[in-house]
Amino acid sequence: MEEWRQIFYHAMNMFNVVIVSYFFLANGTYTLLMLMSLGSVWLHNRQLSYQGLDELRESAVTPPVTIIVPAWNEQTVIVDSVRSILRTDYPSLEVIVIDDGSTDGTLNGLITAFRLIKMDLIYRPRLVTTPIRGFYLNPRIPNLLIISKENGGKPDALNVGINVCRTPYFCTLDADCLLERDALLRLMRPILRSPINTVASGGIVRILNGCEVQDGKVVKVQLPKTRIERFQVVEYLRSFLFGRTGWDLLGGTLIVSGAFAVFHRETVLETGGFQHETVTEDMDLIVQIHRWAVHHKRKIKMKFTSDPVCWTECPSTMRMLARQRRRWQLGLCQTLWKSSEMLFNSKFGVIGVFSFPFHLYVEGLGAVVEFLGYFMVPLALLFGMVPVTLFILFVVLSVVYGAFLSVGAVLLEELTYRRYPSLRDLITLLWYAVLENIGYRQLVLLFRVQGVFRFLTGFRKWERVVHVGAATS
Amino acid sequence: MPFLIEHITEVVVTILFLVLLGTGALMVATIARRQRRDKYFQRIDDLRQRYSPVITSLLAQKLEYERGLAVLKGISGRDRIFVLEQLCLEKRPTLDQVPILRRLCEDLGLVKVWQQRLSGRLDASTIREALGRPGGLLERVGRLHFLVRAKAADNLGIIQHRPSWPLLVKALDDPHPDVQAVAVRSLATIQEPDSFAPLVARLHAVVLKPSSTLSVRAVKTALVSFPLKQTVGLIPSLNYSNRRIRFLATDIIREIVERHAAWEEEFVLDAKVFPPELSDVFLNQLCFDENPDVRARAAPVISHLEDPRATPVLLTLLEDTQWFVRLHAVRALAKRKYLSQALQVAQRLTDLHWMVREAAARTLLVFGRAGSDHLASHFLRTEDRYSREQIADEMQRAGLIPSLLAQYGSGEDGAEGRVIEQFAQMGKTSYLISVLQSSSERDLRKKFLQGFGRHPDPQIRAWVRHLATREPDEELRALAEATIHGAVSKGES
Repeated sequence: MEEWRQIFYHAMNMFNVVIVSYFFLANGTYTLLMLMSLGSVWLHNRQLSYQGLDELRESAVTPPVTIIVPAWNEQTVIVDSVRSILRTDYPSLEVIVIDDGSTDGTLNGLITAFRLIKMDLIYRPRLVTTPIRGFYLNPRIPNLLIISKENGGKPDALNVGINVCRTPYFCTLDADCLLERDALLRLMRPILRSPINTVASGGIVRILNGCEVQDGKVVKVQLPKTRIERFQVVEYLRSFLFGRTGWDLLGGTLIVSGAFAVFHRETVLETGGFQHETVTEDMDLIVQIHRWAVHHKRKIKMKFTSDPVCWTECPSTMRMLARQRRRWQLGLCQTLWKSSEMLFNSKFGVIGVFSFPFHLYVEGLGAVVEFLGYFMVPLALLFGMVPVTLFILFVVLSVVYGAFLSVGAVLLEELTYRRYPSLRDLITLLWYAVLENIGYRQLVLLFRVQGVFRFLTGFRKWERVVHVGAATS
Repeated sequence: MPFLIEHITEVVVTILFLVLLGTGALMVATIARRQRRDKYFQRIDDLRQRYSPVITSLLAQKLEYERGLAVLKGISGRDRIFVLEQLCLEKRPTLDQVPILRRLCEDLGLVKVWQQRLSGRLDASTIREALGRPGGLLERVGRLHFLVRAKAADNLGIIQHRPSWPLLVKALDDPHPDVQAVAVRSLATIQEPDSFAPLVARLHAVVLKPSSTLSVRAVKTALVSFPLKQTVGLIPSLNYSNRRIRFLATDIIREIVERHAAWEEEFVLDAKVFPPELSDVFLNQLCFDENPDVRARAAPVISHLEDPRATPVLLTLLEDTQWFVRLHAVRALAKRKYLSQALQVAQRLTDLHWMVREAAARTLLVFGRAGSDHLASHFLRTEDRYSREQIADEMQRAGLIPSLLAQYGSGEDGAEGRVIEQFAQMGKTSYLISVLQSSSERDLRKKFLQGFGRHPDPQIRAWVRHLATREPDEELRALAEATIHGAVSKGES
């Protein structure tokens, strides 16, 4: 009995060491990323004053881009989205919408709105996809093509778009997203300006909920009404403004949001396009390209910039939020598992040595460690292994550190883009940055752990997040 | 153990205190920043309200220049230069506004400041202005950095300040890539002929030095914006031993030529705008270059030359071993003046590469009726399935099906009927049927029903069934019913 007690105590001690190390590793890295992002985003914001977007817009050398929009049962948003996309400020733009076997009025809505005619065109697949049902065009809108196909999932729909697109670069855009008019031009800028072959460029995704929209354009930016949406605004700021910016500065970009990103078509084709094995095809593609570049000895670059903005609707109910976070976590685990050869592999540079291990241990497995911590540490307290004072201090520290990072993200936003013009919204954001760590964070953690559990049990289903149109018009 | 715990507690308390302090500081900084920026923008807005109408009137020449200048000279304060910059360059000037804006910037002393900043000299006003504007220490110091030089280069470009071109050329060697890139762009805007050669030299350097911080595209974009007469300066590059430099030089000339061609309908490269030595390089050398990219990019330029050697050279390129050279040659021939070459273009409809087949079909459509006839005749005659598919594709994309059906409905000649028959044989009837469904032409629908009503194509069959059950016109409905019965009695359903 005594022996078992010793083993239990020993295990508890070990776990406490793990949780403390995790705490310092995660928060230390986040703090470092935040500090780097402060400098980087500030500088980038200043550089925008001489960016020369007009020159890109007017230059004959600016390459054409195709926006690929996969759509499945998006009848409520698709027509407005396409109208908004067609107004995008870009010199040579093509738009391909892939109706992935919708069972609602997505296709009919598009046919009626754009007076499309079904045509029997040639389909030359370089990436294997489910069969095409038809091509829909209006000869008067030559830069718009709608393709109807058998349902095959988002990666399959994107692959159809890549097969059909003719331009050297393509931009993936979710059907429920709204692009700012010059967002594509801004997203292409790092590609066009870089002396190194930049094969992917990602922009910032901001939350549309609560904003005022007119003719597919965000005219008034304000915070959403519900708490769950407001927490997500803080989360997105943290994730995009200092998470991705920081990794970009280190050259360790591992995630580019597929909701709004530009890719080099030929590179994506060479790497086999979007894969079906994971539920986060965007991250999977990025990792795949990194591996391909190392194996084929290609010098490539991926870039994240914080000024091209795409507005998206975030889940407004707990059920939808749970679905979204479970999927993200599941996809993260699947992608990292699939590419485990990159772990601590110096051939992959910063990605292999820092970024990949961080995403694996902190973003992936960290969810489980943190979750268990919520049970094990009180257990240790119960068995008298941790003094009450230390326990309380540690709990307070974890909450305060979380608040510190979130408030840092809000400051970053204020230093640079100031998208929320009202002082009241700013104070609310700060308040939610603090509040986020009590209750919301734990809830999201639970969803993430469910995602990890699903990964371990081999679950592969894509959980759909239903959008309800949370912006006001 | 108690000793260790105490120490850990101390460490945790210290960290907690620091983080708490940090969080509080960040919150205060956020709100303070917002309030300071609000005040700052309020001031800018006030100034804008007061002075923007003056600038707008000056640029529109509705206000006497000296009077307007005197008003603007009245702006004072530590950030005077910044405010004037904001006001003057708030909106991008139109071409006719540029000379006035340039004069205004010169008279307000802005040009001098920008020139000083670009050359790296920090004058008293720059330092005063940088330190005087709101912001933290980092921001204040940052203003004295490369950002200042890049912005100065940009401003000189916006007002197209020609005398500043030597400074901008010098800035091509600036240690910071941003300044180099902006200088390249500003030189392109100013278009000083003497700056063309340094830009070409920079292009060579960027290609030959892989460690270059400037992108090839940035330099190429700048060179492309120069006028046609400058292209002579690229002759040494066209003869350069490096194949990539030859390619870029050819492509730059192509872009310039295409830009001019887009402006003028009957654009021709004659000796006045394109010197004979340049034409000779294209006709004798570049079209036979060992680099296929060079041959491909030479084709569009050659197609604009007013030279009897141009057409035979283009026809040679049509037969090139590289598909993309053939592609560019076919595209280059897409001008009405090459109508006589329609047959040679039509031969490319059976090219091994689908993009060449596609380009050939599009080129024939550019030739108008004669080209369409070539296309239709090839469509009916060819045994090549891929060629047929490509033509069907192009006819649909170009929106030719409604006119094809209209000609079929009114014409005596059976060519249109045979083309429709071919479409039906290929199962490409979606467009045909959708036109028929929306058509109010009774005669056309009747003729189609009589001609193709019994065709086994499922979409035609469905249309006939639809007519038989839903068509309000009795005669058509009866005809459709008869067609169905006829097909059933013959066992075709």
